[in-house]
Amino acid sequence: MKQPGPEKILKEKKIDEKWWQDWERKGGWTPEGWKIVEMNDGPTLNELKPEKFLIVHRPHGSLFHHSYGKVSQFFMGLLEGKLYGTKCPKCGLVYCPPRAHCFNPVCRLAETKWVELPKKGEVHSYTIMVIAWPSMAHLQPLVGAMVRIDGTNTCLPMTMREIDPEKVNIGLKVNINISKQPKGDLLDVYATPAEEPVAPKRTPEELKRFREDMDKTRAWVKKTFGKTVS
Amino acid sequence: MKIEGERLAKKVGIVAGSISRFDNPRHTLQEEMCAEAVKMILDDVPELELGDFMKKGYACCYSYFSDILEQQQCMHWIINDYLGLSGVPSYRVESGGATPIDAVINAALWVRSGMFPAVLVVGWEKMNEMPIQKVNEAIAIAGDTDWDFVSGFTYNAFYATMEARRMHVYGDTEEDLARVAVLNHNNSLENPYAQWPAQNGFNKITVDDVYKSRLISWPYRLYECAMTSEGASALLLANEELTKKLTDNPVWISGVGFGSDTMRAGDRPDNPAWKGLYPEDEKIWPKTVPKPMSPYPDLLNFGALRVSARMAYKDAGIKNPRKEISFVEIFDPYAGVVLAGLEDFDFCKRGEGKNMVRDGVIERHGELPCQLSGALTAQGHAVGSTSIAQVVDSYWQLGNQIGKKWGAPGRQLSKPKKAFIHGHGGTGCQAGAVVLEV
Repeated sequence: MKQPGPEKILKEKKIDEKWWQDWERKGGWTPEGWKIVEMNDGPTLNELKPEKFLIVHRPHGSLFHHSYGKVSQFFMGLLEGKLYGTKCPKCGLVYCPPRAHCFNPVCRLAETKWVELPKKGEVHSYTIMVIAWPSMAHLQPLVGAMVRIDGTNTCLPMTMREIDPEKVNIGLKVNINISKQPKGDLLDVYATPAEEPVAPKRTPEELKRFREDMDKTRAWVKKTFGKTVS
Repeated sequence: MKIEGERLAKKVGIVAGSISRFDNPRHTLQEEMCAEAVKMILDDVPELELGDFMKKGYACCYSYFSDILEQQQCMHWIINDYLGLSGVPSYRVESGGATPIDAVINAALWVRSGMFPAVLVVGWEKMNEMPIQKVNEAIAIAGDTDWDFVSGFTYNAFYATMEARRMHVYGDTEEDLARVAVLNHNNSLENPYAQWPAQNGFNKITVDDVYKSRLISWPYRLYECAMTSEGASALLLANEELTKKLTDNPVWISGVGFGSDTMRAGDRPDNPAWKGLYPEDEKIWPKTVPKPMSPYPDLLNFGALRVSARMAYKDAGIKNPRKEISFVEIFDPYAGVVLAGLEDFDFCKRGEGKNMVRDGVIERHGELPCQLSGALTAQGHAVGSTSIAQVVDSYWQLGNQIGKKWGAPGRQLSKPKKAFIHGHGGTGCQAGAVVLEV
């Protein structure tokens, strides 16, 4: 037997310790305020009566030190601008998201090998988010696509840029891009069209409604952030 | 496993069921809402004493989804204590959105095993204590946090991509989705446990109202998405002998089933585990769309739903679900799940769910009424309570108790025989189903 020994840091982008400590102090469960409210309540709408409640405003949170385990290579690849997947030596299935062990039932959890993937793919399905995560709200309306990277047996969800939301469709060929300043998670990856997109069929009513929805979203983004991206 | 031709399992009865209504916010604590629900069960079953649980060897099965939403781990220890059930054998079941249906299934299997003569199921959720974006985040991290959640997709977005593919391959339309939303909302209007009327009043809505509700993630609009809710519900299950002793109006859980699928929806189109399992489905794949390695379920349907339903039908001895089932409650966080579910539950062929909506089959007076409670978009979605409440509503329908429990005798179906209730979690990562009968 041998002890695994301590970890050796090969490369590091440190976090700002002071930023985290300030944040941690703020997120410490201590009530920052409170209110007393009155509201009708009861087990059914036929048995309501007024009740008084005290509500405290209580923050909490943490910083996670998360390991990407044996699929870390994918994220190390992103830091170098490369796209990697894994391939099962037994059945040949190619995974991106990668798996360190093949999940084909006949392969008995065989260990996979790393392969570099082309930065090309096809839209398997899509949506247009008009309520995205707060960090991406300025990009609304934001196309989300399930992209099958060429040569893989999986779909990787990613956002799309440089596309008119009205034109995104299933089957669209896309280029896969990696952010110039990668942070080390999947948000570093996004797709752009690799061909002239052909819009899906919509009835005149559906198209009218769609355009109104997009206009409303763009107006909100402009009002909130001062400019629109898509 | 069941021995061929013989029913190893004992019969499981529903003795009583209850709901502490869904709303957002409720401000009442989880344990207080649970106490309200359990109190209703005690009112319905005067012979039942809370002390019986220790004296007579009964058990409890608790159901809540999220430690993050509750801001409490092991919330069920508080509930168990609060109800005065210290010492009683109990644990919590958790499987995302499938949590409450799995709690019912778990409790039914406990009774069937012969270990416990009676099991109390209690489910609840708090969903209003964090800002809405944080609530969405707490739900979304039930998706794969390294590969799904950080892609920039919300949970709405994943279901939306699934429905967009159905539109492309099967021809589902925006109107089909809106019609499902109208059905749910209008079905909830006489339900005194439902969140929609509590917040929006008692007027019917139309397809145009759905179109006027804000877009969330195309094709889904606000009225086509589940509400976040707070509420609680409870069910008392017992073996055949005890059920008959405690109630004159029993309903039986005649079948249970559960199944699973990949964590990430994107891994489904070529999933080797599904390859070749359903050759009949491959035959009807449309020629215009490239066929993936595993055409069923792809992103179009929910394999876990089919596995759970077929297991429950087999368990209940149901040969023709469309003919034998009187009404259905589908767990529909998004309207498209009703279209897909009707197919996955073998009520129609794949791709034909929309026709059952267009032909009015699933309307209140249709051949197979669905979503009589209003389901997730109108009764509400207090996750750990959701399917338990749908089972309770269905139990009241089968037991001819809607007049008494809802105060709406007009909503009682005429002599329904069997009900099918389904629940699932994630993007269909896990699913459960139960068949009830009188």
